[in-house]
Amino acid sequence: MSTKRTDSNIYTIVFAVILVVVVGSLLAFFANATKDMRVNNDKVKTQLDILSSIGVEATRANATEMFNQYIKKQFVVEGTTATEDAEAYLIDVKKEQNAAKEGKTQRLPIFEAEKDGKTIYIVPVRGNGLWDAIWGYVALNDDLKSIYGVFFDHKGETPGLGANITEPFFKDDFKGEMIYGPSGDFKSVTVSKSNGDPNNTDKTDNEVDAISGATITGNGVTAMLKKGLGLYLPYFETLKK
Amino acid sequence: MDLLQLFLKSIFIDNMVFATFLGMCSYLAVSKKVSTAVGLGAAVIFVMLVTVPLNYLLDQYLLRPGALVWLGDEYVDYDLSFLTFILFIATIATMVQLVEMIVEKFAPALYNSLGIFLPLIAVNCAILGGSLFMQQKEFNNITEATVYGVGSGIGWFLAILAIGAIREKIRYSNVPPAFRGLGITFILTGLMAIGFMSFGGMLTGGDEAPKKEVVEAIPPTEMKEVTPVEEVKTDSTAVETVKDSLTEIAQN
Amino acid sequence: MADTKTKEKEPLFSKKNLGLVKDPLADNNPITVQVLGICSALAITAELKASVIMALSVIFVTAMGNVVISLMRNIIPNSIRIITQLVVAATLVILVDLTLKAFVPDLAKKLSVFIGLIITNCIIMGRFEAFALGNTPWKSFLDGIGNGLGYGVILVIVGFFRELLGSGDLFGLGKTYLGHPLLGNPIKGELSGLYALGYENNGFMLLAPMALITLGLIIGFQRSRNKSLIEETH
Repeated sequence: MSTKRTDSNIYTIVFAVILVVVVGSLLAFFANATKDMRVNNDKVKTQLDILSSIGVEATRANATEMFNQYIKKQFVVEGTTATEDAEAYLIDVKKEQNAAKEGKTQRLPIFEAEKDGKTIYIVPVRGNGLWDAIWGYVALNDDLKSIYGVFFDHKGETPGLGANITEPFFKDDFKGEMIYGPSGDFKSVTVSKSNGDPNNTDKTDNEVDAISGATITGNGVTAMLKKGLGLYLPYFETLKK
Repeated sequence: MDLLQLFLKSIFIDNMVFATFLGMCSYLAVSKKVSTAVGLGAAVIFVMLVTVPLNYLLDQYLLRPGALVWLGDEYVDYDLSFLTFILFIATIATMVQLVEMIVEKFAPALYNSLGIFLPLIAVNCAILGGSLFMQQKEFNNITEATVYGVGSGIGWFLAILAIGAIREKIRYSNVPPAFRGLGITFILTGLMAIGFMSFGGMLTGGDEAPKKEVVEAIPPTEMKEVTPVEEVKTDSTAVETVKDSLTEIAQN
Repeated sequence: MADTKTKEKEPLFSKKNLGLVKDPLADNNPITVQVLGICSALAITAELKASVIMALSVIFVTAMGNVVISLMRNIIPNSIRIITQLVVAATLVILVDLTLKAFVPDLAKKLSVFIGLIITNCIIMGRFEAFALGNTPWKSFLDGIGNGLGYGVILVIVGFFRELLGSGDLFGLGKTYLGHPLLGNPIKGELSGLYALGYENNGFMLLAPMALITLGLIIGFQRSRNKSLIEETH
């Protein structure tokens, strides 16, 4: 099938150049055409996740509307000072964590939600599970001492085991759990394999029941909460005053 | 230490064949004899060693959003990530061609044993997969990417070596006719994958020991200096490590 | 492996042309018989929905790629043939990837790098090289559809069993089909169907090794029904 014409070097080069130009422009056009949708999808996903932590299940269609309805204020915390920023939810927690490693101040987003007349504070957390990153949002009651609700997600935990941190049966255990010990010291919430409280009736033990077979993911959640919430403690102190 | 962990993890736990099924076509086609399996496996390690770091540089300085910032601040908004696949595969195809030419010229002996496998590699999913996973894992520096590339290559090598050895022996067994060849190879690979899953226990670090208080209480006065506390207890014994991985498996 | 087709004039849907679509579905299945393209796919078969999307993506790429390569078959310089094929495949895959990210973002996330791995799916390159380079666009199109479908069928079968047995669900609708009262009367509280009889979901089905074993069993089943496919050697 090959002919003399298609075997010459010049023909090959011209063919390659034309191919690259055609393919390049086609892809650039298509990427541009879908860019807004893709960016918007990511935004909506974040909004859905935040809403999920306060128990509001929205759909992709009404996410933005619900988000605006429930989330009243958004702040960026640096140290103990907070500045209002309507796009604080778009802050990339991972980037901020890396910036903190380099010695810069970590910008901490916090969202003030209002549901059933109650004020709820939501903070993002991020850490590592068994295989890859895990992250989530923790909603705190307005006393800033107990948890209103949580949302967790993960990149690639084991299906059926670690991946179950996204399931309601695990997340619901966190509801009402205290993050401070009896003497007022910060304890966060531990995912425990030996708390002797499988039904999670004791809300003051700072522990929830672990998922069997998912030790490392559970420890990851524990560490993530401790670190993530710990960052906000100085600011919480100022809020309580 | 982190690098060693990454290295072992990419060989055993994130094994290309057993955990993500990459490079299955050549894995199945070239594993009938150990000698050819070794040749292809070595070629894969070699190509991974070259392409993963190269694609890492491409990703860092060309593809990811804002990657072009080294050209000047006005390029900060450019996002060429949609070209990822095409550039990665082009790099791989070019590198394979280049490696083939270099090996042929300077190491004819190696070329004779490796050479016939090199063209196969351009379309080996493991190679592109290695680069794509490298991008997804967002490594911090090129050393990590290289270690990951080599580790994944070695993991693939181990897998094809093992199945090659088994297939050489299994020909003396009475396999049901319908399962001969492909069928039994798949099932064997599955069983090996189950075996490899127990390497996941390497990560658990033996922290299954019943612990009263994992998180040390932090007095309120020290709150400002909250740093992540290392959660993994180091005083557990090796026995518990084994027990832990066993329970993990049993509970599956 | 390669189909040997003659180049005589025939109607659009001649028996031979239909054969191009039908053969890969069973006796010349790209996965179970030709042993091509296992790589990029099995990891995502833990859920039926992901399997279906993956299958559709592959069908699109094989069919469109075959047509494009077939249209260009007389102008592709021989020396850069392979790379041209890779570029065509990669372009189509990027289009699929961008489309998925724009319209079904949640699923696109699940498929992650495996969409990209369609490029190196041996089926794509195999069909480009063995069929599209020597046949007319229409035949190549049918061949692409056929091989894509043959591939998709296996994915969907594996996905069906893994999701049903692994999580009792199908298409991730949150229903438990195995808990349907028809399968057994509710005895203990809220448990119904097979669960009332003491059945539990086999989480192991969701893990990687079971995809391989399921596929091995499918191959064994197919070969026990069609003895001509049995391999002489091991």
